[in-house]
Amino acid sequence: MKEINLDVLHDAAHRLLFDMSEEEYATLLQEFDVLTKQMETIGRIEGLENFEPMTFPFDCTTTYLREDEPSVPLDRDLALSNAGSVQDHQIKLPKVVG
Amino acid sequence: MNYLDLSIADIHAALVAKKVTPLELTKEALKRAHESKDNAFEMILDDEAIAFASSLGEPEEDNLLWGIPYLAKDNFSTKGLPTTASSNVLNGYKPLFDAHVIDVLKQKKAVLIGKTTLDELAMGGTGTTGHLGITYNPYDPKHERMMGGSSCGSAAAVAAGIVPFALGSDTGDSVRKPASYGGVIGVKPTWGRISRYGLFPFAPSLDHVGFFTRYVSDAALLCDVLSGRDEMDSTSSEKPVPHCLEKLSEEKKPTFAVLSDIVDSIHDETILSSFRALCQKLEEQGCKVTYVPFGKEALESIYATYIVISCAEATSNDANLDGIKFGPYYEGKTYQEVMFNARTKGFSELIKRRFVIGSFCLMAENQDVLFLRAQRNRAKIVAKTNEILKDVDFILVPAAPSIAPKLGQSSDKLSDEYLIADNHLALGNFAGLPSVTLPLGYEEGMPFGVNLMGRAFEEEELFQACRLVSDSTGLEGSYYGKEDK
Repeated sequence: MKEINLDVLHDAAHRLLFDMSEEEYATLLQEFDVLTKQMETIGRIEGLENFEPMTFPFDCTTTYLREDEPSVPLDRDLALSNAGSVQDHQIKLPKVVG
Repeated sequence: MNYLDLSIADIHAALVAKKVTPLELTKEALKRAHESKDNAFEMILDDEAIAFASSLGEPEEDNLLWGIPYLAKDNFSTKGLPTTASSNVLNGYKPLFDAHVIDVLKQKKAVLIGKTTLDELAMGGTGTTGHLGITYNPYDPKHERMMGGSSCGSAAAVAAGIVPFALGSDTGDSVRKPASYGGVIGVKPTWGRISRYGLFPFAPSLDHVGFFTRYVSDAALLCDVLSGRDEMDSTSSEKPVPHCLEKLSEEKKPTFAVLSDIVDSIHDETILSSFRALCQKLEEQGCKVTYVPFGKEALESIYATYIVISCAEATSNDANLDGIKFGPYYEGKTYQEVMFNARTKGFSELIKRRFVIGSFCLMAENQDVLFLRAQRNRAKIVAKTNEILKDVDFILVPAAPSIAPKLGQSSDKLSDEYLIADNHLALGNFAGLPSVTLPLGYEEGMPFGVNLMGRAFEEEELFQACRLVSDSTGLEGSYYGKEDK
């Protein structure tokens, strides 16, 4: 397991596109002390190699396909109504290319 | 007596007999909501609810939910109405569609009177982390004890008798634990029973739509009405819709397994003696109650397994909360900076910590030893749970190790009481099994509950067992302050 330190936590937060205060990082680092011990409870379980990772409680197969008919699921102005930065019926963001 | 205090079937009878109208019921529910001091509401929909209740024509005799006021947790999308999941990152967001369950209840002409608070983005179990602050437990007017969460507002509202039922969601125990602290019925049906379309996801492999009621018959009714395949949710089940209400009175003598390691990890003598008394009453009625070991090590690992899986899933699910398509927009020099600012300002500290934990578990160096190992452990725990349910009809355990804890009260996060007794309800989420918390008793005036879990898609039998338990405790229909109303 990767060593946990403040740099790793900063990296993880920045990968998720947010930041925290230094106090919050320190709290999180402390939390990991307990969390690591809690995670050891999984490490102690024997025979897990005999089990496949469980991603859902049950198999669920969906065979439904909608009819191949054109439709307009969302009105353009409605779709934009929740966006905070809109110009000329489009979401406006800072330029990506100069 | 107020009609709002009756079971839904009894309110319906009064509506059909025109002893009361939907508008009168709605006004009474709104009045109670405004009188509440528990910070249970994101919004109270006075105008919308009164307009809807006023628009209802003649009573629909075959529709028990006609004109019944209800509340929804604010992580269910409501068309044109703010839906924040109690997070600043979604302030001002108005969905363009209704969640499936909101739509079903609208078609049934139930009256939505408001939306309730939750732990931010449903990630928490205390009812203290939503953007409007702490939601309090109506049983504790001094506001010293928590409501529990994450469905804190819905639990508080039903526990205070504001509405006959309220929608919640349950990823680890977010309906069933606050139900225990609030002395109400909290239901999480089988995973896939109820469509999650329009419910903000937390961890989709664990998320369930759930609900709170005061009467077993109301819970059975809601399970029937809300269940069924929905093509907007590919994980919703094709299984036939159950007939829980119709079959509620069928007399059965089911068998129960009490998980002995869970009971052993509880030290509250009042809860233990009430639980033992319930087991004795069930046996006196001809049911068989057997103490069964689950394995202490396996139970101790539930919490870590839950945290690893749920935080990892949440990390990717909430990547769309970027302040661009919806939610408050913050300026930046690049689009990454726009997102960075929105997420830094929008999420609270707790949520960020959970996301970092999830991200840490998913790092390449950690995936095998943390994430995949947790998923394998989940499979092992589920196999053991289902093995027990091959021999008995239900698993019966105290829902929580205590009454609602005091706010700010610290606990040993490595103790059996915390790791096992406080977190075992996640078994139902791991296995997707139907699970119900019912009121069991009171200590220092605060309620505590008992939990029943059954086999997948056997809700009809589960509610029959709930009927037996409820008749044994005699606590059905109670809520805080009922005698004063």
